[in-house]
Amino acid sequence: MELFIIFISAAIVNNFVLAYFLGICPFVGVSNKLSSATSMGMATTFVMVITAIVSWLLYNLILVPYNLTFLQIPSFILVIASLVQFVEMVIKKLSQPLYRALGIFLPLITTNCAILGLALFGSMREYSFLENVIFGLGAGAGFTLALVIMAGIREELDLADVPKPFQGAPITLIVAGILALAFMGFAGMI
Amino acid sequence: MNKVIQMLIVLTSIGILSGGLLATVSGWADPLILLNQKAATEAAIFRVQPEGKNYEQVNINRLEVYKVFNENNEEAGYALVYDGNGFSGKIKLIAGLSKDLNNIVSIEILEQIETPGLGTKITEQPFTSQFVKLETNPKIEWIKGTEPTKPNEIQTITGATISSKAVVAILNDGISRLKKLRENGELK
Amino acid sequence: MKKQVTLQKEFLKGIWDNNPVLKQLLGLCPVLAVTVSAINGLAMGLAATFVLFMASLLISSIRKTIPPQVRIASFIVIIATFVTIVDLVMKAKFPDLSKALGPFIPLIVVNCMILGRQEAFASKNNPGRAVLDALGMGLGFTIALIILGGIREIIGSRTFFGLQILPNQFEPWLIMILPAGAFFTLGLLLGIVNIYTDRKKRLEHESLIAHYKRVGREELIEELEVK
Repeated sequence: MELFIIFISAAIVNNFVLAYFLGICPFVGVSNKLSSATSMGMATTFVMVITAIVSWLLYNLILVPYNLTFLQIPSFILVIASLVQFVEMVIKKLSQPLYRALGIFLPLITTNCAILGLALFGSMREYSFLENVIFGLGAGAGFTLALVIMAGIREELDLADVPKPFQGAPITLIVAGILALAFMGFAGMI
Repeated sequence: MNKVIQMLIVLTSIGILSGGLLATVSGWADPLILLNQKAATEAAIFRVQPEGKNYEQVNINRLEVYKVFNENNEEAGYALVYDGNGFSGKIKLIAGLSKDLNNIVSIEILEQIETPGLGTKITEQPFTSQFVKLETNPKIEWIKGTEPTKPNEIQTITGATISSKAVVAILNDGISRLKKLRENGELK
Repeated sequence: MKKQVTLQKEFLKGIWDNNPVLKQLLGLCPVLAVTVSAINGLAMGLAATFVLFMASLLISSIRKTIPPQVRIASFIVIIATFVTIVDLVMKAKFPDLSKALGPFIPLIVVNCMILGRQEAFASKNNPGRAVLDALGMGLGFTIALIILGGIREIIGSRTFFGLQILPNQFEPWLIMILPAGAFFTLGLLLGIVNIYTDRKKRLEHESLIAHYKRVGREELIEELEVK
């Protein structure tokens, strides 16, 4: 039950993008088309789950026992950068079409604050291994959800008469605000 | 081959320098951070136990408990730090309790991320004052919309029922655990 | 031969023309998250500027020794080191502020503004210029944070930097302190910046057309119209 709450909390109630402002750069940059939003979301979720696993192991099996927690930030970010590099190589080998679909998005995931945020929150909240993995899954699901909803709206918005100065980032942010308001309705679910 | 060696040297030196620098700063900062935490907790303890002049940490069973002494060095009561789920996230509070655990002296909300302007009212006076001298037996109860009628009852905040109920639940949970430990003779 | 950009321009460009938040849309995560008050915005801005300054200084100084293949990794480690230092110092000396800014201090590491400046500038210029660029960008970033934080604080809490400046009769707009308010405010701010920039461009465009007409070089106007 507790695991379910963690998942729902990360995905909906405390959505990483709409409540914690993590992952805004790709959110604003990649959400203009449904197809790229879905790909980016899935790639990010994949990296998030693996990051949750590796960062937990790194923090609890090495940093804490050897009193090296001050190395948390550099080591986490190095792990993430390497993971993304590794995931990119693996996808390239295993599935050419998938690799082409995700294209440039993969390297962008490294600077996605949502990934580092996930790793840091997990260690701050002292989750167990399984809790951390579910947390990663939930965060990724929530990120994908926000991205996909935003993409759907933006595709419709393309046909609307948005004043020129507001086209692009400004209107996206305003729509995001409305989404954030809507998602607040989920609070109290847990 | 030369290039690879150069890459390795550069990365390793950066790594070593970085590690060394961080270890130094961390060595300087860690004791200060611990002091800060201790000072913050201490200030909170004396706020919820206004008669307290001295305290002693008596943590048992992963419960963060402090025994508080007054200026004559007699036991004035306890201070319990406890947390639980609120509306938007975890609520962490500290409760000053009488020596027999039957009354709350005062409470203070330490950490919360409730809705600004609504749930955050749980940190403010009209709500928290209700807990002063509140009875804890059989447990704390809440009522909505009208003035409390029982000595162990408080009124929830309009528009922040869930946050208010959460505070009551957290207090009940923590205090009952403490009471159980006392029954088992584990509470000093 | 690279066109010589004056040292002054190197510094000033980060404040408006190339403002990292308002024009380049970099580093938006902390911008939205910490700007519930002006002072939080200021603190975050200063912290990020410190990291940017130190990183640019160091990376620019050793830029000739870093092989291109490992440059991103090197940048990241250096940036992460300075971020950790800021985080530790804040926790030790300014615990309340550290709590208020929460996990967003460590997140300065992935602030695309900092990594972006190393890649685009510091690794290709001498330390003097790199430092000016860093200061300019940092200042621009901090100003944007204070503006956003200020607006949200004034309308959401009646205060600015903690001092009450709106009368008690004014019912604060709670939404400003919520995530939704952050999105709205930034979106509107960016829209207004665009309105101003577009208008400026249009005026320059029109005055250029008038100028060409005056000096009898109408053929150049057609080239302009195409742009």
